[in-house]
Amino acid sequence: MENDNERYSRHYALSDFGFEGQQKLLNAKVLVIGAGGLGCPVLQYLVAAGVGTIGIADHDHISLSNLQRQTLYSTDDVGKKKVEVAFLKLEQLNTEINITTYPIELTSKNAWNIISEYEIIVDCTDNFATRYLINDACVLLNKPLVFGAIYKYEGQVAVFNLNLKKSKPVNYRNLFPNPPKPEDVQNCNEVGVLGVLPGMIGMMQANEVIKLITGLGDVLDGKLLTFNMLNYEIFTVDISNEDSVENLIPENREAFELTDYEFLCGISIKNIEDLSPDDFIKKNSAENTITIDVREVGELPKADFEHIQIPLSELNDKLTEIKREHIILFCQSGKRSLKAAEILMEYFGTQKKISHLKGGMTALEQRKNEQNN
Amino acid sequence: MEIKVIAFGQIAEITGKELMLEAGDIDSLKLHLIQKFPELSDKKLAFAVNKKLTQNNVILNQNDVVALMPPYSGG
Repeated sequence: MENDNERYSRHYALSDFGFEGQQKLLNAKVLVIGAGGLGCPVLQYLVAAGVGTIGIADHDHISLSNLQRQTLYSTDDVGKKKVEVAFLKLEQLNTEINITTYPIELTSKNAWNIISEYEIIVDCTDNFATRYLINDACVLLNKPLVFGAIYKYEGQVAVFNLNLKKSKPVNYRNLFPNPPKPEDVQNCNEVGVLGVLPGMIGMMQANEVIKLITGLGDVLDGKLLTFNMLNYEIFTVDISNEDSVENLIPENREAFELTDYEFLCGISIKNIEDLSPDDFIKKNSAENTITIDVREVGELPKADFEHIQIPLSELNDKLTEIKREHIILFCQSGKRSLKAAEILMEYFGTQKKISHLKGGMTALEQRKNEQNN
Repeated sequence: MEIKVIAFGQIAEITGKELMLEAGDIDSLKLHLIQKFPELSDKKLAFAVNKKLTQNNVILNQNDVVALMPPYSGG
């Protein structure tokens, strides 16, 4: 790379940054996990800035409701894989860097090799199972982790696993040792999010990455910053490492790969099968199967396939009414159906086969929209 | 001791953004909070005393500020 690359002339001109700073960016390897609300701005700014090697991991497809905040994607892209569209757009933005895509769902089985390839990891995911998985992997692999998360009008940013000033680096488990139960957390699908918020938080994450690589300024090393976009209030706390959380993190690679993070986060339960929308449609009409809507009466969208309705609140009283051998449960987001599956599991044990629609009607509708586009 | 409590995210929707409570340490503050807002009992949150996060039962002094920080998962 030449000193006079006009693309980076505004970086060269910056005192304290210059050619050296640019060279550091070009030599850096950054993995962005999640190409959604946070991932889009992180990717756009890191690619534009000239980070030399960038990995993008996401298994999701673009839906129309993403476009309100996920600025890499256009209306024509609905239904396509996020990483594929992101790759094409980002390649146009900067032809001089290397971008690798991972169109897969990150699990404890595949995360180790992917994360090992990079120097800085950026968490742009939208669920606790993956967040705890990434955290633990970064602790074990000793990788700096730039964390970002949002809720309605507020966002959190932090940098973990650095030990610039502290004797012992901190990680996400020093903040929240164990994942919350799914029923105690609301996600963007349910509570909404102002489209600008992930843009602002994602840009803060991109900024932390650039500062980490170039050594500029002070990174949020072991600090949690909370930003409120309604009044621009910023509240920063020091995360302490006074309590050891090492016993909560798998001991080594082998133990990590055996850890079921979805199970730990209450998203999946042993002996209860999670059905994807496609599997759900297939199995719904199978023999000796009953499909039960556990939502309250009147909740929309209505199900246009054969089913009966037993709201979760009435399930305990109606257990004896369920005769068939295979029971498929569904609700709006997949949380109540999982709760219902737990109740059935307690009552029937393994004498019946119990499964539920992961992601609920929301996932089913999204799949239908993808197929129509 | 009179303690200023500030809350974020989902927690602020239950408690309001700011309130004053009497408490001598974090454990008694938790107890008062749950008495006042029973919904808080099953919520995950981190406590920061004067902008320093703590998992322990720290002694509180007059005019200390305790922040209640819930985990956010959205992205």
